[in-house]
Amino acid sequence: MSELSSIAAAGGGNRGVEKEFSRDPKGSAKTSGRSRDPARQLLPTPVLLCQRVSKWYGPVIGVNQVTLELRPGITGLVGSNGAGKSTLMRLITGHVRPDIGRVEVLGRDAWSAAAKRHIGYCPEVDSFYEEMSGRQFIETMARLSGYTSGEARRRTGAVLERVGMSGRAERRLRGYSKGMRQRIKLAQAMLHDPELLVLDEPLSGIDPVGRAEFISLFRDLADQGKCLLVSSHELDELQKLTDHVAVMARGRIAAVGSVAQIRDRLDDHPLTVRVDVARTTEEGGKDRRRELAGALLRLPDVVGVELLDDAPGEEDVGRLLVRARNPRTFFQDLTRLVLEEWFEVRRLQTLDESAEAVLGYLLGGRG
Amino acid sequence: MGDSSGRGAAPELLHYRPWKGAFRPPIAAVWPIARTGLLMLLRRRLFWGLYALSMMIFLMYFFGQYLLAWFQTQAGESRVVVGLLAIHPGELIEILADKLKLNGSAATYRNYIHYQGYMVMIVLALAGSVLIGNDFRYGSLPFYLSKPLSRRHYLLGKGLAVAVFINLLTTLPALALFVEYGLIYSWDHFTRNSYLVAGILAYGAVLTVSLTLILLATAVWLRRTVPLIMTWTALFLLCRQLATSLVDGLHLDPRWRLIDLWNNTWLVGGACLQMGPEAFDPASQPRWVEAALVLGGVSVACLSYLALRLRAVEIVG
Repeated sequence: MSELSSIAAAGGGNRGVEKEFSRDPKGSAKTSGRSRDPARQLLPTPVLLCQRVSKWYGPVIGVNQVTLELRPGITGLVGSNGAGKSTLMRLITGHVRPDIGRVEVLGRDAWSAAAKRHIGYCPEVDSFYEEMSGRQFIETMARLSGYTSGEARRRTGAVLERVGMSGRAERRLRGYSKGMRQRIKLAQAMLHDPELLVLDEPLSGIDPVGRAEFISLFRDLADQGKCLLVSSHELDELQKLTDHVAVMARGRIAAVGSVAQIRDRLDDHPLTVRVDVARTTEEGGKDRRRELAGALLRLPDVVGVELLDDAPGEEDVGRLLVRARNPRTFFQDLTRLVLEEWFEVRRLQTLDESAEAVLGYLLGGRG
Repeated sequence: MGDSSGRGAAPELLHYRPWKGAFRPPIAAVWPIARTGLLMLLRRRLFWGLYALSMMIFLMYFFGQYLLAWFQTQAGESRVVVGLLAIHPGELIEILADKLKLNGSAATYRNYIHYQGYMVMIVLALAGSVLIGNDFRYGSLPFYLSKPLSRRHYLLGKGLAVAVFINLLTTLPALALFVEYGLIYSWDHFTRNSYLVAGILAYGAVLTVSLTLILLATAVWLRRTVPLIMTWTALFLLCRQLATSLVDGLHLDPRWRLIDLWNNTWLVGGACLQMGPEAFDPASQPRWVEAALVLGGVSVACLSYLALRLRAVEIVG
């Protein structure tokens, strides 16, 4: 984590990137997401505040010391399966309590009923009571939100209209398509006009037209001063919605900022890579490790190369620690070098887990 | 949004009428949760079939009381000869009334509720799967728990739905029988035997609390209908057979009957209706206090299990 500490969460929390993220003395990440109302961004109390939040599932850690501060706007949350997105969302929506740390929504403990009045949650699952109609389901959810029956009916009608389901609301949920289910899920999250909308994979299963409508709706909500946290495991999908993303990997926020900013910071920060190479060729000859070290030092993005001690019993393998900027270019150059000079690379490892995750995402792989 | 009218037009903002009223407290969500569960179950034909079957026992008692009263007023002391057989209706009525206990006594209501046991078990096994099991099985809990209510309110809501079914099958019909007896025989019945009303309600409360907790716990554990029915059957039928074999067959200590939970509710119910030990058949029974302790222990265990599972909802879900 050390090398990318300025962009990635490293134990102590996330650190912001550039101007979009004002940094407090504790080093928390503050993001205003996509909001066109500057006054909203200056609210004294953040809509969401996670302070050094950790959550274990037995011996497995789901979320690891995450510190995050969100203000009105849209923030994307990306990460591969098992990265901790869903756990973080459950912590934010008060479904689970953190083992360490605190989650606050508008200054209230996310676990409390008072906080939940300001949270709208659209979970990934779409299991409803299949015998119910869409309208009955939303109305029930409105009653659970604390509205009187009359108000619940009014809000149900309004929100169904808003998500484009008013004409199909009397049908049973059993007969709904995936896209219709997404709309119903979104409707139940929006019906109490929450300040914070936590949307878990909301665009999944929606046709292109519906997707455009959803994106338009999310932007409208952000313009109204709502804070939206939208998760996805597809960065491209989120980029259509917002430029502000938080990348999660192995329970940590690996990076926060716009994709371009994260890319820039990655380029600026030396990446530490361990390279194990066979010392000799089949014909014998020179120490190939030193040859590789020399060749690497000639690369423009390499900052330094360190020759490591041999591992016991592996004297035929030479180990190098390479520090390089601009990872994309560095890896391209390294690949070319290895192929042209016939270096027998036994092992290639990025030593910064978060950097690896971010790289995986930004370069199109997995985190 | 999805409406054709909205497409292509400038994006409209959400317009909610400002909410000026006070939000109802989270406890108010208990009834909507219960009502949702009740409606789901009432939509099922199987439930209505089972409920109709359970009502057979009620109708037997209802018309039994009525017929006995009619016989008593019509037949009197007369003697009826059928072929070579001479029948004394008075004696017959007395035997039937004592045997079936259709005499408006505490035994009438205790027996009625006890006989309903089998139907209660089947209906509750179905209810448990529909009301709670599906929430866990399909991961619907996030919808509930994202609203301003806690796990406690969720449990209360589901428990309330189960309680309604238990009382629809037991307490309410028993109270109806009490009212019917008073209307047929004498208005004095209501004043002289008002303790029976308290006894029926107390018996109903014992059933409601213990069965609701057991059902919630087993439903959360098993989730599916068939395993739920099998476990429920094992709890109430196999344990009963086992207890009978141990006590009546092997002549072991009557306390072995304590493994029969329905028998325990029967003993406690009898105590609620102020019935002495002599009113129980078979006579070799544990004390009602012991039965109450077992029911209490099982209820506490179920409650603890539920608290544990709901705290681990992120794993269950």
